Amino acid sequence: MDSQTLIDIGLKLVAITVAFTVVLLIVAYTVLAERRVLGLIQGRLGPNRVGPGGMLQPFADLLKFILKEDIVPDKSTRFIYFLAPVIATMAALMTMIVYPFGPETRIPFTDISLPLTIARFDVGLLYVLGITSVGVYGIALAGWSSNNKYSLMGGLRASSQMISYELALGLSLIGVILLAGTLDLGQIVENQSGWHGMRWFIFFHPLGFVIYLIAAIAETNRVPFDLPEAETELVAGFHTEYSAMKFALFFLAEYINMFTVSMLATTLFLGGWNVPFAEDIFGKGTFLFGLVSAIGFILKVVFFLFLYIWLRGTLPRFRFDQLMNFGWKVLLPFALFSIFLTATLIFLFPGL
Amino acid sequence: MLVLLFILFAGMAIGCALAVVAQRNPLYSAISLIGVFISLACLYVMLAAPFIAAVQVIVYAGAIMVLVVFVIMLLNVEEEERRRGRLRFLVPTAIALSAVLIAEVAFILVTVNTPSITRIAPLSAPDVGLTHSVGSALFTQYLLPFEITSILILMAIVGAMTLARRGGLVSPTARIVPGATHLPLSLIDSTVGHESTEAVEAETTAEAEQLLGVDKSD
Repeated sequence: MDSQTLIDIGLKLVAITVAFTVVLLIVAYTVLAERRVLGLIQGRLGPNRVGPGGMLQPFADLLKFILKEDIVPDKSTRFIYFLAPVIATMAALMTMIVYPFGPETRIPFTDISLPLTIARFDVGLLYVLGITSVGVYGIALAGWSSNNKYSLMGGLRASSQMISYELALGLSLIGVILLAGTLDLGQIVENQSGWHGMRWFIFFHPLGFVIYLIAAIAETNRVPFDLPEAETELVAGFHTEYSAMKFALFFLAEYINMFTVSMLATTLFLGGWNVPFAEDIFGKGTFLFGLVSAIGFILKVVFFLFLYIWLRGTLPRFRFDQLMNFGWKVLLPFALFSIFLTATLIFLFPGL
Repeated sequence: MLVLLFILFAGMAIGCALAVVAQRNPLYSAISLIGVFISLACLYVMLAAPFIAAVQVIVYAGAIMVLVVFVIMLLNVEEEERRRGRLRFLVPTAIALSAVLIAEVAFILVTVNTPSITRIAPLSAPDVGLTHSVGSALFTQYLLPFEITSILILMAIVGAMTLARRGGLVSPTARIVPGATHLPLSLIDSTVGHESTEAVEAETTAEAEQLLGVDKSD
């Protein structure tokens, strides 16, 4: 191994550490933001005692999760019971590495130029879909191994819901692939940087965007699609029997998933790190351009996170048959139609 | 480095494959099979075929095995008991077949010019496994096999539909009455009268009509 390889590996490790720290911090504060925004919507305050304005609440929650007693049900299938939260969290974290957080940026005071992406490969989008589909096992196995009927029902609901909505989700992305002509997420973002950074694919493929948004909520098991943990019917669904840190892992996985689907929506439909006119002002490759682009990316993601919290505060839950009917009889045909629409658009205006 | 990774993933694949066969609990077998698929995907990545790797994970680990796990969970399959004396002839057959397979692999390893593990590194044509080249090959050179495969899948879907609604095709106006299999709408129409809507055991609509004594001509 020569020194260049070692430097590369070192840089990658630094990039991974920075990206994961930033993302986990944002995720931690998403939890707080969710509680505060829900409070606002429901006309109450929400947690505001720990630290100024409740800013230290996530750390207090973490401490509580660590200190809680860890109860393992007597007749659970031990190994799978321990494995399930690990699979859920790992699958949620693993997709993080392909997202482009920013453009090619020169580090100040050096002449090293590197893209703000951890890994970039040809099938980035398929990688995301693949890892997301593996994440189902975390929930399904958790439901099965707990040896509890509510958990089992939650696990079954979660797996059927996730494989149903995965279809609509995947189909809604095909329009973007057609427009970009590549599966590489970095390339997809670069393709959207025309028109002074406003050539976003949402303008060419709006129907697909709406379908993606809906299917993504279902994929992350959030309101109004949170039937796997519907507390009025199933106690707490697949994580009924989980406590302390193992529950915290599921909790973390849900919020990371929320974050990653928001990142994917931003990357594919809202131009990723493209900020309007940023390139004209700062020039390509400069540090400021990189910084502004990365902040723009995070802001777009935060917008989606807020949207999800907003939906949770305003929409009631679906019934399970409504959920299935909606997924198969409404979303799926519309997704197919959106592919047809986008393909026609590309055929009629080849220079698009 | 490559050799180390190859040994790691190949070892994982073999270990998981052994576990699939050795486990008595069907769910453990299914999980081991997922492990096999994921290690195979890692090997595909090392062979510079990222597209195949991603598709392997999406289709096998993400879709097919989810259904398998789902069914195991739904039916609550218990741990399998070891039965003796059943299908005993399979053991020598399996040994003979695996001997053939090992001989085959050995033959290939001997006849290939440089039988070294380093050959797994991509040497020429680095874009062979990329999405673009796979796609253009599929839709030009191999278009016919590709389309035939899609027809095959369509046949499987139609077959599954036919099996799911066994008891013959149901007319669109038919309603299902508990106890009976299928009844035409005219039988349970409120204007016709309720005496003929008693539950009957019938396989098909025609049989139900016959049992209920409905005259078809009206």
